[in-house]
Amino acid sequence: MWNQDKSLNLSILLVRILFVLIIVLALCVPIMVRWYEIVSPEGVGLLKSSIFWPLSICLYLSAVCGEVCLYHLHKLLKNIKNDIVFKPENCKHLRYISWCCLLVAIPFGIFGFWRFLGFFVAFAAAFFGLVLRVLKNVFVRAVEIQEENDYTI
Amino acid sequence: MPIIVNLDVMMAKRKISSGDLAKKIEITPANLSILKTGKAKAIRFSTLEKLCEVLDCQPADILEFRKEDSHADEI
Repeated sequence: MWNQDKSLNLSILLVRILFVLIIVLALCVPIMVRWYEIVSPEGVGLLKSSIFWPLSICLYLSAVCGEVCLYHLHKLLKNIKNDIVFKPENCKHLRYISWCCLLVAIPFGIFGFWRFLGFFVAFAAAFFGLVLRVLKNVFVRAVEIQEENDYTI
Repeated sequence: MPIIVNLDVMMAKRKISSGDLAKKIEITPANLSILKTGKAKAIRFSTLEKLCEVLDCQPADILEFRKEDSHADEI
């Protein structure tokens, strides 16, 4: 029977798989960038120079942010599994995840000058970061309510 | 916080231990400790009622309002 514990375990497993997958993909960045340079049409950005270095830097920075995100996501899931839910520590994890998403938006925003697609990725990352930030604000309030409840005798 | 809990004073006056009081008012010793040390954010009327009943006192004997020193922030 499917239950809460199994759902959490599945989430933890997926986070771990993605953690490894990002490392593997980071190792393949030069190959992926070369391939993208071939398939992407030229002249769809303001700058006409080679996209190898801009896109490589973008992807490496995103990989670092992604790994940091997944690390905090893993910690968050572990805390939830141990019934540590509305605690300041979890707000901290959500804040880091949100900042990582917002940070990813910066290099992709710059890459948008080479290929306009970068702007869309930057927008998506920034939007996701903002949603997480609001979620973090809700969590902070929930922690306060939980604390008030815990300290009501 | 400007609300001071004088529970330890009343307990000393009534010569009752924390363990006994916790048992009589049906709360855990940990929660009683939170109340005694002033860490509590709120107190239920039911808890206050039991405290007054067991300690044979009025709420004012347990709780006290003391104005915070406004000059402390300026310094």
